[in-house]
Amino acid sequence: MLQPILKVDLTSGSIVEETVPADWVRDYFGAASLAARMLYEHLAPELDPLSPEAPLLFLNGPLTGTAGPAVGRFVVCARSPATGLWGEANVGGFWGPELRRAGYDGLWIDGASVNPVYLWIRDGLVEIRPAAELWGASPYAVQEVIADEVGVRGVRVASIGPAGENRVPFALILCDHGRVAGRTGMGAVMGSKRLKAVAVKGSGQVPLIDWAAYRPVRSVANRELRDHNQSVVLRDLGSASGAEYFDYLGELPKKYYQSGEMGPGYHVSGCTVSETILKGVSACHGCVIACGRVVDLNDGRGRRKGAEYETMAGFGSNLMIEDLDAVTRLGERCDELGLDSISMSNVTGLAFKLYDDGVIGEAETGGLALDWGDAESAGACIEMTARRDGFGELLALGARGFGRHFGVEEEAVQVNGLEAAYHDPRGSSGMALSYATSPRGACHNQSDFFFVDILGQTVDGLGLTFHSRHAGAEKAGDVAIHQNWRTLNNALVLCIFAEVPPERVVALLNAALGLDETVASLLLAGERAWNLKRVINHRLGLTRANDRLPKAFLEPMPDGGSAGFLPDLQGMLTAYYAARGWDPETGRPTPGKLEELGLDWVEYENRDR
Amino acid sequence: MASKFPSAEWLNDLHNNLNTDERYASVASKWEGDISLVIETDDRFPQTVTCYLDLWHGRSRAVEYVVPPDEKPAAFVISAPFSNWVRILEGNLNPIQAMATMKLKVRGNMAYIMRNVPTVLDFTRVAQETPHHV
Repeated sequence: MLQPILKVDLTSGSIVEETVPADWVRDYFGAASLAARMLYEHLAPELDPLSPEAPLLFLNGPLTGTAGPAVGRFVVCARSPATGLWGEANVGGFWGPELRRAGYDGLWIDGASVNPVYLWIRDGLVEIRPAAELWGASPYAVQEVIADEVGVRGVRVASIGPAGENRVPFALILCDHGRVAGRTGMGAVMGSKRLKAVAVKGSGQVPLIDWAAYRPVRSVANRELRDHNQSVVLRDLGSASGAEYFDYLGELPKKYYQSGEMGPGYHVSGCTVSETILKGVSACHGCVIACGRVVDLNDGRGRRKGAEYETMAGFGSNLMIEDLDAVTRLGERCDELGLDSISMSNVTGLAFKLYDDGVIGEAETGGLALDWGDAESAGACIEMTARRDGFGELLALGARGFGRHFGVEEEAVQVNGLEAAYHDPRGSSGMALSYATSPRGACHNQSDFFFVDILGQTVDGLGLTFHSRHAGAEKAGDVAIHQNWRTLNNALVLCIFAEVPPERVVALLNAALGLDETVASLLLAGERAWNLKRVINHRLGLTRANDRLPKAFLEPMPDGGSAGFLPDLQGMLTAYYAARGWDPETGRPTPGKLEELGLDWVEYENRDR
Repeated sequence: MASKFPSAEWLNDLHNNLNTDERYASVASKWEGDISLVIETDDRFPQTVTCYLDLWHGRSRAVEYVVPPDEKPAAFVISAPFSNWVRILEGNLNPIQAMATMKLKVRGNMAYIMRNVPTVLDFTRVAQETPHHV
């Protein structure tokens, strides 16, 4: 049951409500999948992602705000300025549920304001307000200023930082206690519209068909999730709970993906956080896991957000920094400046590597020595990037652009312009396919298959088989199924840390919305959206050749738990295309597959090939 | 000669093997903490029992086969149905994966376990190499 979408044109100042067609909601459910359907007609190849004509869409899922198991999330979607392809980032916190309570399930931004503005949405009333004094401020500061200005308790604010204002292609949007829509540069799109923030306050009830039917199913699901071992570990140790295990297996990237082992002396991990600086935990709306870290670095600044796994790996082992406090501060600075910590630490790692290799020197870096383990230099890179200052102008190109600038694009560990997350496919071969075929580049959230490969989470009910973490083509079909399931999760929006059995998800959805879905029908909906994003990407220029991995993942690691192993990417891709029903030559969904998924309406050049 | 799993005999065999295994002594040299492996009843096993091991710096200092109503508290209590323990012993289920997928339930300091995954896996190896029949 989807509420109206607010459509705001920042060029003209017009604000209208729109209803999403019911058959779209039926076929795509919500959030990222529905966003793909809604944006489909608007994402043309000639569209500049940072132009006023480029739409930016915030969208809830059907379970957002219902206090179900880890479903308090929303997505932000647009054409990505980082990749030029489909852009999508999902985020927790409280902003999405608040938007629902205000009477809307989405926010579509068109145009661009001449001067900085923010949106203030309160129970059906919408204002475009000046934000010149907020320009340049951190998202946390923006939250405080807007809360004072509107004078309403409990207002929720999603905001960009200076990096978004400066259109850094990996700028993020931050809300609440440091919850971020980090990937694919949605903050840059927001900045290009001179939209600093969106503040929301609602007092209504989240619209479900049948709350009475939903509540008991929700209780069971939340209780199961709360008591699950993985939830206990995430609550006790945070998302970096597995860092030592990943290191042991050679799955934790080190020294910009060049080394396989940090060894037993390495303690930048969730375990160390829990034993040293942890002061509390934080949770998103209604979440019983509470994976967020609240830490105190004893520097007089009090309690604040601690780093999660990707930030810890990116600024820790990736840069060979062994100081946990320093890693925490680097992640915090990314948040304050509005930078995605995965992309920022990745391009910094590339700069460190090229400096180490002698490809660049202090002449290029503006006098900065980029030595492995140097947290101060990493911090300087962050500051310069957010402001596009000096050497930062090059870092702000992202890893692909930075490498290309110095004639070594192949050294950049990225796929299609999105910097790789910190799960090495040489430690978990399923991640080879995940990275190579994700609609948004080297992304771990469209299929976190390392959970299957390493932790054996075959998700009862999906029909996945547990293979060796170094197996090849035999797991390709399972990766496709897992992608379909995660696509469905990203439509609801269900956090990937929540081990909710598929049958339980079906029960939640059916109880909430009076539906008659099955696991099979939900998987089909996931597959439909996955293929639609593929079609969008083909229209935006993606070809079969884009299904690739960077050089680093195709060279064996010299040491560690995955030494010598290489994923058989080509063999896996061949099996994957067959499992997907895609043309092996073009990588495109066949006409038969499109028809099977109810996508025969898509405009596909050379469809009959 | 293989002992029945679980039994006091098998537990004693494991105790002896842990104390003669050089690799375990090295990998687990920093481990400090006793564990209770609770083998829960299922359709193949009629009564829940506990295998208690006092593990310290790469050695097994003591073991005790505990049958209800007796109990033995420990720093780490790891519980699973009999069939899942057999799968682990026969190499068909990785213990870390079993924890992540709720095939094993754990009470105790999870940070300590996650930091000492190599010890957990090597303890499992020795248990797998201790001859048994079910």
